Amino acid sequence: MASDKQVAGEGSDILGTLAPVYQAGSRRIHEQFERDHQPGGVLRERTHVVDRVVTALFSHLVAGGPGEPQGLCLAAVGGYGRRELHPCSDIDVTFVCANAAVETAYQESTAALLRALWDLGLRSSGGLRTLAECRTVLATDPEFAVALLDVRYLAGDPQLFGALHDRLLPEVIARERQSLVANLETLTRQRHQKYAGTIFHLEPNIKDAPGGLRDYHVARWLAEIAALDERGAWSAPESLWPQAFSSESRAAFAFLTATRCFLHYRRERDDNLLTYEMQDQAACEAVGSETRAPLTATEWMRAYFRHARRINALVARLLDETTRGRRSLSAVFEDWRTRLSNNDFSVIGGRVFPRRPAAAADAAVLLRLFEMVARHDLQPSAEAERWVADVLPRLTPTLNEFPEAALSLQEVLTSAHAAAALRAMHRLGVLTALVPEFCGIDALVTRDFYHRYTVDEHTFVAVQAVHELEKLKARKGSVSEGVDPGLARIEQRFAGLLAEIDRAELLYLALLLHDLGKGTSHANHVQGSVEIAQQVLARLGTSPDEDRTVLFLIAHHVDMSSTLLRRDILDPGTIREFAHKIGSVERLKLLTLLTYADIKAVNTEALTPWKADALWQLYVSTANDLARSLDDDRVSAGDAAADAFDIDATLTAGQPTDQPSELHGFLRGFPQRYLAVHAPGEILEHLEMARALEREPARMRLEREHAFWELTLVTRDRPLLFATVTGALASWGMSIVKAEAFANAQGIVLDVFAFQDLHRTLDLNPSEIARFEQDLMRALTGKLTLETLLSDATGKRVSLRPAKVTVATQLRFDDVSSKHSTLLELITADRPGLLFDVSYALARSGCNIEVALIDTEGQRVIDVFYLTAGGSKLTGSQQEMIRSQLVSLLTKPAGERPAAPVESRSAAGQVRAEPVP
Amino acid sequence: MKKIEAVVQPSRMESVKEALVELGIMGMTISEVRGHGRQKGHTEVYRGNEYTVDLLPKIKFEVVLPDAMLDTAIEAILRSAKTGKIGDGKIFVSNVEDAIRIRNLERGEKAI
Repeated sequence: MASDKQVAGEGSDILGTLAPVYQAGSRRIHEQFERDHQPGGVLRERTHVVDRVVTALFSHLVAGGPGEPQGLCLAAVGGYGRRELHPCSDIDVTFVCANAAVETAYQESTAALLRALWDLGLRSSGGLRTLAECRTVLATDPEFAVALLDVRYLAGDPQLFGALHDRLLPEVIARERQSLVANLETLTRQRHQKYAGTIFHLEPNIKDAPGGLRDYHVARWLAEIAALDERGAWSAPESLWPQAFSSESRAAFAFLTATRCFLHYRRERDDNLLTYEMQDQAACEAVGSETRAPLTATEWMRAYFRHARRINALVARLLDETTRGRRSLSAVFEDWRTRLSNNDFSVIGGRVFPRRPAAAADAAVLLRLFEMVARHDLQPSAEAERWVADVLPRLTPTLNEFPEAALSLQEVLTSAHAAAALRAMHRLGVLTALVPEFCGIDALVTRDFYHRYTVDEHTFVAVQAVHELEKLKARKGSVSEGVDPGLARIEQRFAGLLAEIDRAELLYLALLLHDLGKGTSHANHVQGSVEIAQQVLARLGTSPDEDRTVLFLIAHHVDMSSTLLRRDILDPGTIREFAHKIGSVERLKLLTLLTYADIKAVNTEALTPWKADALWQLYVSTANDLARSLDDDRVSAGDAAADAFDIDATLTAGQPTDQPSELHGFLRGFPQRYLAVHAPGEILEHLEMARALEREPARMRLEREHAFWELTLVTRDRPLLFATVTGALASWGMSIVKAEAFANAQGIVLDVFAFQDLHRTLDLNPSEIARFEQDLMRALTGKLTLETLLSDATGKRVSLRPAKVTVATQLRFDDVSSKHSTLLELITADRPGLLFDVSYALARSGCNIEVALIDTEGQRVIDVFYLTAGGSKLTGSQQEMIRSQLVSLLTKPAGERPAAPVESRSAAGQVRAEPVP
Repeated sequence: MKKIEAVVQPSRMESVKEALVELGIMGMTISEVRGHGRQKGHTEVYRGNEYTVDLLPKIKFEVVLPDAMLDTAIEAILRSAKTGKIGDGKIFVSNVEDAIRIRNLERGEKAI
């Protein structure tokens, strides 16, 4: 055994010799990198130069000759062991000795070697351990264990190194595989947590952030550990990766190492933060790109995110597979999710597995995989991902024409875990097969230090933001940690708004498509998005009505933000103008939610309480304006909106009315809202119904619309009309959820009622539909008197919904908002026949209902009536009289009501032939 | 050196920013703030719920600049922030003793 050389005096000599060698070598490598930007050269050459320095120091300070001393060897570990030394990487080594005696003998000289490295300017670390210690530490220190996975012989006793590398490591790693993998997983998850678990950062750390170099190594280690266990021998871990990942991950690795070399040279330290400034420079020098042509920072960052995404997916996949491998078989069988399995897929341990061979799968089955992922918070298994890769090439040519694609996409979008499913679809190429237009925004960077996510990810985050609101609603106000309580309170209101939306799928569809224009050369991305969305919707085969809503939302998706940031939202003029642009409160709700999600998905801090509050104020003011301006904001002669509509209707409906002036005459006098809420096809239908009034007293159309029945009624205005219809509905036990009643300048009334068939009379007895319609017609023609309806309705007053919440009745008269009418806003608890009772009481008080807008939110009824009496606004005493009548009516138990009207045909009930402005 | 703190209408943010940049003032801090002066908030009743805004949304600019630029900067803010309505905001001016650029320790007017 060689003795410990005391080298204090000789140390400076050897440093004097090595320093110029090291410096010249480093300079040559740097110059070469500046010429060719090839990271491979740097990593290899630098390792070579450092090897020379380290072995020279070893033989000078520690060993007597080659292969000596016996019982001690020096090994490179970590990145140095892998021959991946970046310009400013640390030099990690370890000294291994056969026993404690050797350890004592070489304590001093090995420490001297490390000091000498520091003196040369090499940040180095390393320890001295016996083989036995290595064995214990391996099992307990995961970081040491992964460092040893890359161990490489440098100098000293080769047989001792062989004992470590060929026997001890394979044996211990195979034995400790489970805990090693578990530790590695924990370390990785903790590291990811520090970066919020996302690859998307304005200034990413290219080593430690998700999708960075560390993840690449984790993927190598996982494969290496599995191979050592299964084969008992070392192998090239990259070759063990799933084939789909192998070449792309290597390309990503090359890109990231080139970038890391670049950063180290520019910052002159081991700084792996890809700052804004560095992004500009790297793009300018086309670091990591095949061609050396300069790129814009946006293009270069797009490449970065594509690479990071690939590595992130690789490590997620390998972690998932190894974690699943650890679960015991019984735990797998007991998993509750197993019951989600069906003919096409099994669900085990939260992963979906295909049950059909790829050759037998069609588009419906392929998409069902993602529907399951979206609905039940599952992940596609590795097998499922391979299966998708096999299925997709055959289906891609026709997938975007697949007739049920729209339904499937809606199913995914509206399910609670839509964002996860969309990400999986995008990663596996299914989303771009379904909507090829999505390619344009793939990994597209918006480079302004504000947009944290790439455009595709922004889209997914926005969809997620709406689903988070759903969860918030379910949590009912309990604020999660770290959320600003002020913001949480406002978000709760948006959650309430979401619950009022009938067709949330249209909101989600609009969100999915809203930024597709960013991937085009269009100067205005909104216009670009509208054009692309038209294409996509036409292919998906959505209805013209749905298209109108989705396209409206996309076309206006920045209007609300820009109004609240650039306009004075306390100014009634701003609100009026904005309300006019939006047209109906239904659209306003959708647009508010879309705006909420769009801001929220810019970056995690973008939706400040300040902005959220301003957005809510804009919503409330606009909603109020829309509800209070129906009477004044009517379609008039030469109205621009109606003119545009004529053309629009002719084109869209494909059934030109030969007399546009007839249509115009029909529209004149209706509130603008009418144009906003009805599709052109519907309006032409209404016109057709109105034409029939020359021969018949009324025309009606009854349809099942989603959860409700919808009754559209066109007739000439007459006394007590609204009370009569609501009475007829109440006598059949129908519960009105929404209603609107408008009249045009010709005195034609259009009433639309959405109601719930509480007794399921119409659902269960199709023959009753005709009888129901007959009854309505008899009521309209006076053959069924209000008195009869009244007693019938009283008999049907069975509430199927016991009141769970108490709703305080609020009555508010407003003489200011409308030029012609007095507004009555009524909020009260819903109950069967309520609208009949109220409209009947109003009629008894001598009021005429000019316009009615009825809505319900759960058990709260929100009614707005535009009232006149004798053609004028209500006087103060009339208002007081109505107030006291309604209050006594609404505080009375259901079923008791004032006696039948004596003056039911009085002039007071007469409709005013209203002059239209 | 002087510090200007200007509280303005959110709708005037862009024009104030542009006016300052036009004067060659590159450094500024902009915050979303809420508050009220003589103009008190307002209450909007929506579907039976009262939504009171007692603290109105405003934008606050903070700019530190050499004494010589103070008057032109104030004029620029006045010109660009004024709508003539209640709630146009206020400008506050104060003395600044020193400024230090963290990166290279430059001090005084060089650092702003």
